[in-house]
Amino acid sequence: MPKRLAVAVAATALALAACGGEDNSSTDNTKAAQGEALQKGVTLTLWTMPNSPQPKEDLQKMVAPFTAKTGVKVDVQEVGWDVQFDRIRNAAVAGEGPDITQAGTTQVPFFAALGGFMDLSDRVEEIGGKAAYAEGIWNTTQVQGQEGTWAVPWFTEARSIYYRKDVLEKAGVDPATAFQDLDSFKATLQAIKDKVPDIEPFGAPGKKAYDLVHQVMPFVWDNGGAELSADAKQSTINSPESQAGVEFMGDLITSGLFDKSQLERDGTQVENQFKGGRLAVWIGGPWVLGSIDRAEDDTWSEEARANVGVAPMPTGPGGKAYTFVGGSDLMVFKNTKYPNEAWALVKFLSSDQTQIDYAKLLGMFPARLDPQQQVGDSSENHKAFFQAIQSGRTYAPIPQWGQIENAYKTRFGNILDSAAGVGTDYSAATVKSQLDAAAKEADGLLAQSAG
Amino acid sequence: MVLVHLIPTTGGILLSFKRLNTFTFSRLFDAPWSGLENYRGILFDTANPLHDGFFGAVQNTFVYTFWTVGGTIVGGLAIALLLNRPMRGQRLVRTLMLTPWIVPSFVVAVLWGFMWQSDVGIVNKILVDYTGLLGERPIWLLGENSMWAIVIPSIWRGLPFAMIFFLAGLQAMPQELHEAAAIDGAGPLRRFRYITLPLLRPLIAVQLLFCVIYAAYQFAIPYIMLGSNPGPDADLMMTLIVRQSFSNNLFGFGAAASVLLTLAMCVWVAVWYRAFKRDLEAT
Repeated sequence: MPKRLAVAVAATALALAACGGEDNSSTDNTKAAQGEALQKGVTLTLWTMPNSPQPKEDLQKMVAPFTAKTGVKVDVQEVGWDVQFDRIRNAAVAGEGPDITQAGTTQVPFFAALGGFMDLSDRVEEIGGKAAYAEGIWNTTQVQGQEGTWAVPWFTEARSIYYRKDVLEKAGVDPATAFQDLDSFKATLQAIKDKVPDIEPFGAPGKKAYDLVHQVMPFVWDNGGAELSADAKQSTINSPESQAGVEFMGDLITSGLFDKSQLERDGTQVENQFKGGRLAVWIGGPWVLGSIDRAEDDTWSEEARANVGVAPMPTGPGGKAYTFVGGSDLMVFKNTKYPNEAWALVKFLSSDQTQIDYAKLLGMFPARLDPQQQVGDSSENHKAFFQAIQSGRTYAPIPQWGQIENAYKTRFGNILDSAAGVGTDYSAATVKSQLDAAAKEADGLLAQSAG
Repeated sequence: MVLVHLIPTTGGILLSFKRLNTFTFSRLFDAPWSGLENYRGILFDTANPLHDGFFGAVQNTFVYTFWTVGGTIVGGLAIALLLNRPMRGQRLVRTLMLTPWIVPSFVVAVLWGFMWQSDVGIVNKILVDYTGLLGERPIWLLGENSMWAIVIPSIWRGLPFAMIFFLAGLQAMPQELHEAAAIDGAGPLRRFRYITLPLLRPLIAVQLLFCVIYAAYQFAIPYIMLGSNPGPDADLMMTLIVRQSFSNNLFGFGAAASVLLTLAMCVWVAVWYRAFKRDLEAT
């Protein structure tokens, strides 16, 4: 109990320190925190997903200083990732739900299109607006072709390359140049295969993973391809450039550099394979960095835990390195009885120190630029992630994206399966026909309308 | 009955005639009418990407149902015949045989999901490492093998119930018939063919009815073992309907496909009733 008290006191002190700054957002936070025009004693309901080891308790602790200052209580409720899509959708449609919810960045346009959420355009300037966020991250709060800001970025992740320093050393590869571009990426995996036979060079999950598309798209972007045309009216996943990107991944499997048994697993299982020392190279998010120092995380093998290195994603033929940037946003329900109090809470969660504290707890990055930079400066490995976020890319913010992602996921899965020798024979023609089918399905989904 | 059965069923049928998608599903019953468009798209429109997926799922469901039901009934009967002989420890064996049945589908799928893993799963360890029956490690949870990866656990789980069901029938069977036939010189095979099987017919009929319906509506095992999209080789009707409805918001498509599946089951019940009408009256 005294430990908890100490944490609460420390968190309060940090929040107050954050509120004491000179910038606009901080001043406003102070106002909100002082409880101006806020109804004391009301309770806001906040839906959160399992972000940290104890999702409900951790976040409840994080918002304790807000309640202490404003008198507005917060009831944190945990909603699992497996059901959150349905629950948020149903709440938005029925008009009955919490006051605020967390939502995955690529889900925001869909939820916004349901019409159950508040347009925050008039309020976001209070927290610095667009300028306070990296471009890719701010885009996740918008809906393409529509006015309005439907969410506020909460925390961020981007994908980078994790590698085993000891394995690279044994393979005689210099980490500084090992993953510079797609060619050196492949050459590094080949060197590991040739010289370190007791570890698989690389692995990624297959169609069981919720984020298969995030795994493949960076290679598509590297090759000049894209998921949709710039106006988001047509799929371009079957363009020659996109095909080259998908084939890069398929070729890793056929050339034996990609452990095909990983395709049977989901994302977390493959992550544990890297942590357990079965994979030398793996692409993942920043949360794994946070787990290195957690002694109770016994998925790590001793060698792996002691030898983690992080490198930015390789550059493609175009000379640019792309990665997927995601994370979660906060959305305020239109039917909330307490819009001002809900906004005050969003502002509190957007204050620099709360952002840093919460992101650290999660092993993620803050969504706002300033605190993001601070976390990025904390270590060499964090720096690689900070850079990744700045050049990170996400998908077109359109309501149908989730469905299109599902269509792509199916086809990418089929392609990787066939490269692993368990589907249609793998060839350029197979890849093309699968991508054509994906594009056709996506075009059908894009043609959906309200009429 | 009206509240939990009739209203939802009518609602489902109604929705199958609506254009429900990302933009309209929040209006649910107020969504625009689309007439028979959902059905036409599924059944006849080869340009519609959902058409191929639907027929693939129909084919897979058929294959899955055939092997699961066949394996469960034949296997259940075989084990029941074995356990029907007097032997030591019969009760213990019978109780142990029942364990897969009391394990929830969810646990069955998780367990088998691990057992099938090509690199560390026990199945390949036995087939490749311990016995050397296979030279190369097959990948079970992807491609064509994934159908067997869901059929075998389904049989494994269904077998005990079929076994106990048939065993009850066998033990209620008058022994005099067998004794008389044996005296007349009928061997075990002929006694099985002309005495056991005809007397078990009503039980086989009931088992067949439920097994087919249960297999056609199977969802948990493929979903947990292979994910929301089991791929072209193992996507069943239920995984397709749930995915398209709840992940892709195509509730109109999902409702229409559900209605078609229900109709198919109605046809099955009608065929079954015609085939086994006599047995039901006899019992």
